[in-house]
Amino acid sequence: MSQLIWNGLFVGSFYALVALGYSMVYGIIKLLNFAHGDIYMLGAFAGFAMLTVGGGLATSFGFVALLVVLVLAMLLTGTAGLVLERVAYRPLRGAPRLSVLITAVGASFALEYGMRLVAGPNPQVYPVRLAGTSLHILGARITLEQLALVGIAVALMAGLQYLVMGTSTGRAMRAISMDPKASLFMGINVDKVIARTFFLGSALAGAAGVMAGAYYGKIDFLMGFIIGLKAFTAAVIGGIGNIKGAMLGGLTLGMLESFGTAWLGGEWRDVFAFAFLILFLTVRPTGILGERVTERV
Amino acid sequence: MSSSVFRRPRRMVALAGGAVAAMLLTGCGGGLLGGDSGGSAEEGPIVLGMVTPLSGSSAAIGPYMKNGAKLAVDEINSDGGVDGRELKLIVEDGACDAKTAAAAANKLVTQEVDISVGGYCSGATLPTLPIFNKAGVPMLIPAANSTELVDQGLDNVFLINGTGTQQADAAVAYMEKAGATKVALMDDNTSYSFDIADLTGERLKESGGPELVAHESVTAGESDYSANVNAVLKADPDFVYWTGYYQEGGLIIRQLRQAGYDGAVMVGDGSVDAKLMEIAGDQNADGILATMTQTPDTIEGAEDWISNYKDKFGSAPGPYSTQSYDAVRVAAEAVKNAGSTETGAVIDALEGIDGFELFSGPLKFTDEHTLSSGGFQILESQDGTFVLKDSLQ
Repeated sequence: MSQLIWNGLFVGSFYALVALGYSMVYGIIKLLNFAHGDIYMLGAFAGFAMLTVGGGLATSFGFVALLVVLVLAMLLTGTAGLVLERVAYRPLRGAPRLSVLITAVGASFALEYGMRLVAGPNPQVYPVRLAGTSLHILGARITLEQLALVGIAVALMAGLQYLVMGTSTGRAMRAISMDPKASLFMGINVDKVIARTFFLGSALAGAAGVMAGAYYGKIDFLMGFIIGLKAFTAAVIGGIGNIKGAMLGGLTLGMLESFGTAWLGGEWRDVFAFAFLILFLTVRPTGILGERVTERV
Repeated sequence: MSSSVFRRPRRMVALAGGAVAAMLLTGCGGGLLGGDSGGSAEEGPIVLGMVTPLSGSSAAIGPYMKNGAKLAVDEINSDGGVDGRELKLIVEDGACDAKTAAAAANKLVTQEVDISVGGYCSGATLPTLPIFNKAGVPMLIPAANSTELVDQGLDNVFLINGTGTQQADAAVAYMEKAGATKVALMDDNTSYSFDIADLTGERLKESGGPELVAHESVTAGESDYSANVNAVLKADPDFVYWTGYYQEGGLIIRQLRQAGYDGAVMVGDGSVDAKLMEIAGDQNADGILATMTQTPDTIEGAEDWISNYKDKFGSAPGPYSTQSYDAVRVAAEAVKNAGSTETGAVIDALEGIDGFELFSGPLKFTDEHTLSSGGFQILESQDGTFVLKDSLQ
């Protein structure tokens, strides 16, 4: 039982990190950024490239090297998010919602197959692997590395929470999500704040990508696809557009999958988890913590 | 967004789209081609066609198959060909993709091939069956081995590789031999993988030997299989058999070991790849068992053949080099016995072959046109490569 909970929390913290970007972007410009999962993939590959170039240096410093790479990869994917927004989404700011949605799907393809051209179709294996001794806590097998990764995820989420709730940029974000036109009249540089939102969300996804690469070890150019869907589900379950909701949704989805597998078997896990998505959409479309939404895609 | 087609192409069930495309293409080509290659049945070169992946996710395999076939063609030609007729090999890229493979098959048919000696990914080979069938081209498929290939009952289709049924037999035979008591099966829910696991499960129940304690299907393309691993380990197995591909296989092996499982792990032929060990990580990679058809490295007495191959192509042979080499030799033998390349005569000759020596043993096709013995054997990983553990003879 405690093992199931821990597995669910661990996987859920990855979902939560990716779901945050989805949720923030949706909250501010009502766009489902389907390329977001591929930013996660981009982060994993950026980390891979840096660790490979770093070579011996990376292996001898282990965890510290990973942290440095994590920060660099976050900056890189954050920048990629900025570019994506500038190139693919900003020109369509006034366009119908559907056009932007399709552009997002196109951006997803471009990132996936662009990476395929660069890195090849075969999976790559991370040069630094996190696999350590396990501790037994309350009957669950937990490794120090898992604890460290969950710790990093929590720290990142706490940082984001502060940024959104306690700084002027965050206040501007919240204002735009309520009413972009009025925010513009109040002197907020809307484009700049939206760009920052993309930077933050993409950086978090990039962090999740590096962490997944280092923990699981295998990365490939389509790795962002499934987690993108899962994170979207998590964001909806938690209440899309709501930051705490995305965190909660990620953890909930992780738990649902963990318990679904244990109760019904692996082939039923996704049926179980996605049935919950449908249930939420019908019974409580605003999610666990969602606010009232009058418009939908 | 991408569909899973791009990710799991090998031996996957043909997509409806590919099949439809294949039908359309055949439809268009039918009028021009008009069945058999007609007047050339008893003179001129014997044209062999091969569809094999030279690009895409399985691009590494294509050259192995092409070179294996080329070696046999050159050997036979330097011995004077078949009844004085030269062999000619035409290779087309199938990319392990249903649509590309169907187009490649059509291209071969327009070049009037007499016999097809290609086919690696089952999913990409399936749509080529009706194309070759309609054009009256016998097919000797060296690698693809889904039972779906022969389920259609087409009389021109012959498999040179063992089938899923035979792989399951080999797996159960080894489990009994190794003294396994509780077996857990894991597959990735694709038809190729699920079939092997399912057949293995059935045989375990029939055999009364090792007990089947768990059968878990995972979703391909994810990173975290801890929930599945947990479910499997709850049944306390001492033997785990993974029938999917190496990408998930490596992760599952790693996560099984991390969760404290120290029993035996065996993988199916889709997982026999050096990357499996890389993904599993050094400390987890040794002693992984595998059910696999023969590769040049595991065949006794193949040293001369390997050195010939190396001299000619400057690189070592790989998976399915030997099967492709054998496919060409079987084709030549059939034409020799038939006395022409006329479709019906060649098919009769193929069905009549008895005891022709292949790398996998003497050849005699079953009524379904599969090998009477699969030639599956057990490999074990050592220092990053798979070596022969037990030939199950």
